[in-house]
Amino acid sequence: MEDGKILLEVKDLEVVYQTDESTVHAVNHIDFSLKERETIGLVGETGAGKTTTALTIMRLLPERTGRILDGSVLFRGENLLDKSEAEMRHVRGADISIIFQDPMTALNPAITVGNQVLESLEIHNVEKKSKQELEKRVDALFNLVGIPAERKKEYPHQFSGGMKQRIVIAIALACQPALLIADEPTTALDVTIQAQVLKLMENLKEELGTSMIMITHDLGVVAETCDKVAVMYAGEIVEYGTTEDIFTGEAHHPYTTGLFNAIPNLDEKAERLHPIDGLMPDPTNLPEGCKFSPRCPYCTEECRSRTPYRYEKNGHRIFCNRFEKEG
Amino acid sequence: MANLVETVDLKKYFKVGKGRYLHAVDGVNLEISEGKTLGVVGESGCGKSTLGRLVMGLLPATSGQINFEGQDIVTCSRGEFKKVRQKIQMIFQDPYSSLNPRMSIYELIAEPLIVNKVYHDKADILKRVYELMDTVGLAERYINSYPHELDGGRRQRIGVARALALNPKFIVCDEPVSALDVSIQAQILNLLMDMQRDLGLTYMFITHNLAVVKHISDTIMVMYLGQCVESAPADELFANPKHPYTQALLDSILKPVLGTNKDRKLIRGEVTSPINPAVGCRFAKRCEHCRPECMEREINLVDLGGDHKVACTMCGG
Amino acid sequence: MSTGTVEKTRQTTMKKSQRAEIWRRFKKNRLAVFGLVLFVFIVLVVIFADFIVDYEVAVTQVASERLQSPSLKHFFGTDNFGRDLFARVVHGSRNSLLIGFGSVVIGVTIGGLLGAVCGYTGGTFDAIMMRILDSIMCIPTVMMALAIVAALGTSLENVLLAMTISSVPRYCRIIRSSVLTVTGQTYIEAAHSCGTSNIRIIMKHVLPNAIGPIIVEATMAVGTAIISAAGISFVGMGIQPPAPEWGAMLSEAKNYMMLYPYMVVFPGLAIGITALSMNLMGDGLRDALDPKLKD
Repeated sequence: MEDGKILLEVKDLEVVYQTDESTVHAVNHIDFSLKERETIGLVGETGAGKTTTALTIMRLLPERTGRILDGSVLFRGENLLDKSEAEMRHVRGADISIIFQDPMTALNPAITVGNQVLESLEIHNVEKKSKQELEKRVDALFNLVGIPAERKKEYPHQFSGGMKQRIVIAIALACQPALLIADEPTTALDVTIQAQVLKLMENLKEELGTSMIMITHDLGVVAETCDKVAVMYAGEIVEYGTTEDIFTGEAHHPYTTGLFNAIPNLDEKAERLHPIDGLMPDPTNLPEGCKFSPRCPYCTEECRSRTPYRYEKNGHRIFCNRFEKEG
Repeated sequence: MANLVETVDLKKYFKVGKGRYLHAVDGVNLEISEGKTLGVVGESGCGKSTLGRLVMGLLPATSGQINFEGQDIVTCSRGEFKKVRQKIQMIFQDPYSSLNPRMSIYELIAEPLIVNKVYHDKADILKRVYELMDTVGLAERYINSYPHELDGGRRQRIGVARALALNPKFIVCDEPVSALDVSIQAQILNLLMDMQRDLGLTYMFITHNLAVVKHISDTIMVMYLGQCVESAPADELFANPKHPYTQALLDSILKPVLGTNKDRKLIRGEVTSPINPAVGCRFAKRCEHCRPECMEREINLVDLGGDHKVACTMCGG
Repeated sequence: MSTGTVEKTRQTTMKKSQRAEIWRRFKKNRLAVFGLVLFVFIVLVVIFADFIVDYEVAVTQVASERLQSPSLKHFFGTDNFGRDLFARVVHGSRNSLLIGFGSVVIGVTIGGLLGAVCGYTGGTFDAIMMRILDSIMCIPTVMMALAIVAALGTSLENVLLAMTISSVPRYCRIIRSSVLTVTGQTYIEAAHSCGTSNIRIIMKHVLPNAIGPIIVEATMAVGTAIISAAGISFVGMGIQPPAPEWGAMLSEAKNYMMLYPYMVVFPGLAIGITALSMNLMGDGLRDALDPKLKD
């Protein structure tokens, strides 16, 4: 994994949603990179900017309101933000594809699932393969995600939630993309099915050599699937490192610690949980200095007034003033 | 201690076609003693929400009994039920759709007080609304706000305040934290546990989140396709799961700890249809220990001692 | 200050602020305010019609002053019987608005409640009601109205009744479909769970959330209702001449339209302005009543 080539590099990305009345600062100057065959987890709560980041990489931000103010997204060295819409259409699906949270709404209810998979193959049919060849590929994809190929003539409502998510995955993987963005792929699924789907994604990743961005709020999913983690809060990455850094490392951003403490622990009985005080800041009116400062138990005068220092140790980055001296 | 709530062979079938019935709840016996929490876990479609609504009296039962303080609320008259209703309240899953968007916070919290004619003076209602807002940790200034102006956590606090308004004894919590972020989820769980301690409430806590259910429950009941497959004190269930489904469920939990998640056992297939289910164990088709016996007869819930009950042929069921 | 007074103050500020909120939101919509101004103007005309111009002027036929163009003497000109059109438009407002508003308000109330009950209860009652309304809907509005007026006799009340009956099915359908969406929401279940009665649920929870589409439909229907009433008047079964009514004025004028366009322009404008004011106000009202669109 060490010598993998860098596939995706997001640099200093800043995205806002602009409406007449207000500006939502959705993503504020984030950096991260992803090597080939690697999985990065974007973790955070609602409003952290995870999905916006994904949409920006796909260039699928809502046209009327979404604005990319700064930064670049380098995919195999090319800046996706400079590409035209027509060029992006070749990238989407073929090089980068995305799986959305809700498999129920991601499929067209009036088209058979086989044809939906076929469609994504036809769109990116660069080698001008014949229809028979494509059909064969559809069958192979169904087998790959563990659905009998006979069922490709059925409609989405004939499948259960877990099966639908498998079909969505088949569509996303149809053209063997180099990068797969999974936006909360298992949140809508039951626990036992979630485990199955994650296992499937893991296996496919190994088999096809796909890199993945796993967007989730579930630290359990991260522990299961990711190599690297970026913890996001209010549009910023507050902590970034390998999964080991985040889960077993010694130094942590107070928000990361808070997230871990807020989950009920299965192995020990605690009388009370330890929620993070306060609420997410209003994204149209973010606090000065460190965005987490109003909820942080270690907040000082300095935190409120200036952007936090960046502490870095062997690639483990923490944006917090508590660690300035060490880094 | 006497049970505050118990159900006897409770059934709810929905007719879905000619001679086709969906067995949403199929012969459930449960007991909750006063001041305790029963956690009900299971996957979607296992009938846990239907069970909650039956106990709430929101759905009529097909057969069986629901005893609240010794009184059967399935067969009692409307007048009697109205009296009981005030003591049983519910907290709903989705704080976004369970609050009428056209009503202010005041109207929302005051509604149970108004419809049950608890107070005759408006000033008393207002006083009680402020009191409830204080109890659930909502600042006074929100009284004229509308639900859409608040975040999920605050909305769920409104839901809790509404449920508490009539001083109930028993609250059915239907996935109350599933739609909330982790840090907010912890706030609401703490609130619920504080309420229980201070007001002596009894909960039926319905969820699919195993970590949450272990944290909050005294006893846990695992449901599969309308039936209770295992029930035991929370710690016992997690330490010593007997039913293969319970084992699989516990095994599928993704722990936020590195290295614990490799090589889990996955159960095959998906939940089968609850419409006109065949005789025998409903989990049999997915079970790796399935024997011919499992498909031949109904499996009984067997008490293994220490309140641990299992419905599995391997345990003599 | 004692606690009691504090509570009182809290409460009054609260009540007031909710109404103030709706008004504030309404005011923000300039077009809606313009609609309101027009509407107030029309209502003033209705109330003070007798002070503006004598009713006699509207019905007196002056043979020597037939078909005159607008002038200082006759602001809107005169018609083929030599009646002053200005006076007819002013006094016609009473009959026209009575039919326009009356039929819509009564129709929406009956249709709305019926639709709400049908959508909310569902089942057999709903199925039977819907089939009855479907069969009413099969009969063209004017035919239906004519039949009713023919059976009950010619009078303003009967025209109103006829218009109402033929409009009920449409409102009922509209409300029913939005009620169906609303009843699926959890807050209806939540209301049940705290013991709210069915009537209160319909009035407090279902209708306020289902009312949006009907407000728009109803405000648009006022103009249509005036025109439909004209159709009935035209075949001689509505308002009896010489009583002035906008729709009837339009149909009377159709033979002279090419040569004396002002005969259709002024009653037409009156109907148009009424319809416009209603539409603008309706849109504004719908938005103002929806707290989600506060900002």
